[in-house]
Amino acid sequence: MTDAVQQMPGHGSSHPRLTGTVRHVVLIAICFVMIYPILWMLSGSLRPASELFGGDAGLIPSQVTVEAYSNGWFGLQINFGQFFLNSLIIAVLATIGNVLAASLVAYAFARLEFWGRGFWFALMLGTLMLPYHVTLIPQYVLFRSLDWVNTWWPLILPKYFAVDAFFIFLMVQFFRGIPKELDEAARMDGCSAWRIYWKIILPLSMPVLATAAIFSFIWTWEDFFGPLIYISEMRNYTVQLGLRSFIDSSGTSSWNELFAMSVLSLVPIFLIFLFFQRLLIEGIATTGMKR
Amino acid sequence: MVTTITLNKVEKRFGALDVIRGIDLEIKPGAFTVFVGPSGCGKSTLLRMIAGLETISGGDLLIDGDRMNDVAASKRGIAMVFQSYALYPHMSVYKNLAFGLETAGYKREEIDRRVREAAATLQITDYLQRKPKALSGGQRQRVAIGRSIVRDPKIFLFDEPLSNLDAELRVQMRVEITKLHERLGNTMIYVTHDQVEAMTMADQIVVLKAGKVMQAGSPLELYNNPANQFVAGFIGSPKMNFVAVEAADGTAVTLNGVRIETGRQHASGKLTLGIRPEHIDIGDGPGQVIGEARVELVEHLGGSTVLHVLPPFQEETMTVMLSGQQPCRSGDRVALRIERKNCHLFDTEGRALLR
Repeated sequence: MTDAVQQMPGHGSSHPRLTGTVRHVVLIAICFVMIYPILWMLSGSLRPASELFGGDAGLIPSQVTVEAYSNGWFGLQINFGQFFLNSLIIAVLATIGNVLAASLVAYAFARLEFWGRGFWFALMLGTLMLPYHVTLIPQYVLFRSLDWVNTWWPLILPKYFAVDAFFIFLMVQFFRGIPKELDEAARMDGCSAWRIYWKIILPLSMPVLATAAIFSFIWTWEDFFGPLIYISEMRNYTVQLGLRSFIDSSGTSSWNELFAMSVLSLVPIFLIFLFFQRLLIEGIATTGMKR
Repeated sequence: MVTTITLNKVEKRFGALDVIRGIDLEIKPGAFTVFVGPSGCGKSTLLRMIAGLETISGGDLLIDGDRMNDVAASKRGIAMVFQSYALYPHMSVYKNLAFGLETAGYKREEIDRRVREAAATLQITDYLQRKPKALSGGQRQRVAIGRSIVRDPKIFLFDEPLSNLDAELRVQMRVEITKLHERLGNTMIYVTHDQVEAMTMADQIVVLKAGKVMQAGSPLELYNNPANQFVAGFIGSPKMNFVAVEAADGTAVTLNGVRIETGRQHASGKLTLGIRPEHIDIGDGPGQVIGEARVELVEHLGGSTVLHVLPPFQEETMTVMLSGQQPCRSGDRVALRIERKNCHLFDTEGRALLR
């Protein structure tokens, strides 16, 4: 009896390593399942078209070819570089608009006192619950009467009016964490509300601005529905619309090219994330204060 | 350039809450004025109203005779040092000092000259390129003061600037701020809850309680002639002792049957006798004995000895501060002796009675 009890700890000490290994194996397996579609897409973009839907569509292609990339890039009436350029312009402008407008509105909600602030804030949060699709038709009617259909304006301009309540909310929360004494010190230093926003609040909010920028860019880049509704001419297409063209352009879908261009379309997102991720981590807002 | 600040029936309300309740005050030009009071007395709010960071709900604020109620904070010629220092964390020390001047549109050479001058004054020249987070508490405090002096303001406001420093540094900075005032000669207002800071730094102390001025005057005036029981208890350390007494004939009172001559005019009825710990002596000597008490606790401070004694006439202990080192032990019985000139007398409303 006593022996058994004494042996228990010995048993236990070998357990952590075993459970650790098991846990890792399980996690790696789940990761593999998650990432499998991307790997398959990557391998699909590198293999000959004939092999794509063959009997054993494993991950390793029998021969590697980059034909799909050149075919995809130059295969449509307009080369894919144009779509990348279009998407880039739209995403960059939309991101700038989102970050500027949302931070301005958030600054007003977080710092300025005006009539009905609580009410307007609640109303703004309420718009979070409106699905995109509810406002789609009224918006379409509006933009059509402005003669903006088949231009990029409907995809860019609304962002300059702080339409995204999520970013505003995110920033309001962050700004509230910046000590008010900094605003007051700046006021004593002669700053206007505008200058406090520009010189004090924004530089101290890099983490939240980077977060908003990253998401804003990714969401605009990935958006398929918006461009689909508003853009009809191929020269105005975004990458996402360009990708769709592979499926129905010539009756027979060019899957290889679709995969190849899909892989390329992920590159900017990856780069953006790499670049801004450093800013996300830098929490510098409160380091000059002593409490 | 010395500036007068005048407050006429100044009030502040936050909704239904009266924080400042009709303050009349004249802050003398070039004086170092300290607002002191327990927490929640409204001293910081009053300072922020003068600064322009809080609106004024009623009354007038005059600076050199001009009404300032609706003038923007930056146009009042005031600089303020905050309790948390409020240094801009993303700017170097140099930028922190220069920021206000840049905002005001000074030329770059002028900014540089002023920043370097202020930095030299406060001995922070070596840290100009550092960020605030790389500075110690005392250095941050200097930068905060430097940021206020570069703008060459008429008035300096300090909102509990030393409360984040350790005791040793606090004493050092206290001396430096006093010296700074002597050199610059500006009107300065300083808020603290620490009556020692108030006593050591002030030309004029304003004691506040619940949004009202209890008394304003020089440190020694407040110490020698407190206008009421609150000021008497607040100024001085250890605290003044208060003893319930009965009025007797003339200027005398009776305490537990003992007649004590106070030298103060009074009406009949119940009164409170106030006597500071350092004004009570034990053993034989001049003055009048008010009773014999038992020593409960002895604190040897080296330069002085503090006794906590329990007299027969009340339940709370009294504090006695004797100079030098005394051979007292707890359990000893001592005769408490006071002098007439050191007696304070308060009526039932807590008002001091005159001699």
